Amino acid sequence: MERIVFDAAATIALVFAALMVLSRNPVKSVLALVVSFFFLAVIYVLLFAPFIAAIQVIVYAGAILVLFLFVLMLLNIRHEGSGKDPRPIQRIVGGGAILVFTIVLVALLSKHGTPPGLPPASEAAAPHIGDVARAVYSDFLLPFEALSVLLLAALVGAFVLVSKEHRP
Amino acid sequence: MNLIDWVILVARVALPAMILPAIVIPLVWYERRVAAFIQDRPGPNRVGPFGLLQSPADILKLFMKEEVIPSQSDRFLFYLAPGLAVFSALATFAVIPYGGTLTIAGKDVPLLGADISIGVLYVFAMTSLSVYALVLAGWSSNNKFSLMGGIRSSAQLISYELAMTTAAGGVILSAGSFKLADIIAAQQGTWLGFIPRWNVFPQILGFLIFFIATFAETNRLPFDLPEAEAELVAGYHTEYSAMHFGSFFLAEYVNVIVSSALTATLYLGGWSLPGFHPHGVLGVLLSLLVFAAKTGFLVSVFVWVRWTLPRFRYDQLMALGWKVFLPLALVNLFWAAALEMWKAAR
Repeated sequence: MERIVFDAAATIALVFAALMVLSRNPVKSVLALVVSFFFLAVIYVLLFAPFIAAIQVIVYAGAILVLFLFVLMLLNIRHEGSGKDPRPIQRIVGGGAILVFTIVLVALLSKHGTPPGLPPASEAAAPHIGDVARAVYSDFLLPFEALSVLLLAALVGAFVLVSKEHRP
Repeated sequence: MNLIDWVILVARVALPAMILPAIVIPLVWYERRVAAFIQDRPGPNRVGPFGLLQSPADILKLFMKEEVIPSQSDRFLFYLAPGLAVFSALATFAVIPYGGTLTIAGKDVPLLGADISIGVLYVFAMTSLSVYALVLAGWSSNNKFSLMGGIRSSAQLISYELAMTTAAGGVILSAGSFKLADIIAAQQGTWLGFIPRWNVFPQILGFLIFFIATFAETNRLPFDLPEAEAELVAGYHTEYSAMHFGSFFLAEYVNVIVSSALTATLYLGGWSLPGFHPHGVLGVLLSLLVFAAKTGFLVSVFVWVRWTLPRFRYDQLMALGWKVFLPLALVNLFWAAALEMWKAAR
């Protein structure tokens, strides 16, 4: 049962990730990414990590990608220019990189497989939400606070960039 | 799992999903009658007793009508959007407990779809997906008014979701759990013997913010900017006709019911009452009635507000969400935390 759900979710996530890259229409790219993220969340649930799954849907699928859509619609970019390819070299190099990466990944995974000493996901070993909170606010307090300061800096930076245009 | 388990499981999941749309039929009639009462006119009173058959007649009409699709629209997304709206509205209800625990064939069956450990987060995840229905409808119609409605909805829903989740944080803090069943269990008993231990009393600020934010989340007046018929024709569903329009209509009313049910669960003790311990089938039926009464009261407030308040201007709406509700929701969170500290210190 888990196997069927995992295979289906993984396949759909991969297919829509590919569609995201291949689509000529930026709005459809964003929508494909939404579907891909949603099925990634399904895989998190299978790994007994419902909290991460919920955050994945709320933050990524529900907020960040909505902002992407919002910006795309405000600018109203409907279609990437068709006809002559403006970036022929990047296309070949990018395709080659994907091919090399896939070959290396498949070779490594088939040779080594699951690392030894890593237990399979189980409901008993799954961390409770309280455990996540305790870890974030004790052992990982400094990185957590540093991240929030980084976000604040980005926010202030965005504000400065925008407000410059209104200055006389 | 034997056959009975499967039947119970399917019933738990499928029954609410079928009953909710059915409740919408009398609800539309109720809203129209209340609107007429507020505006001092009779309202629909010709079809059937008290006009009760007006809504079924309207639904029949919606199914029979010709479907008009704009030739320049994106077909696939145009058809997907209304379905998505109904899906996210119905899926939200899956974790809300709507009654006590029923005993069937020697097994305890709690009356809710799924008792998951991240209940409240699941609700917010599903409501955050509902924005795609409106945005896609607006974009795929290839109509400038629809597009404006879609853009407005995306900005509005993100802004108010923040205040809503922060306000609900206070409830999660006082219950110490994300499970909706635990949140109801934490609201049992009374203070001073007569005040129910509902979250609405210590966290009145959080309750008001949460409930007002649900108006924005369901696109109801005074926050129905994505539709705003005076400015945008009909906003995101301008180009929809027949039952695809009906689907958006259905989704809006299901959202009103689900939001009211969620508010009742988080702040008004859900299906429970102080000193009421449901036993047997009769007790469970009573708990269903208690839940329906609380939800029905909040739905009535939705209807009442819609026909009483005028619409906000768009910049006022955004300023209210970011500059008033979000700071107040943070104040409420600190207040809830202080209450918990005080309780722990005693």
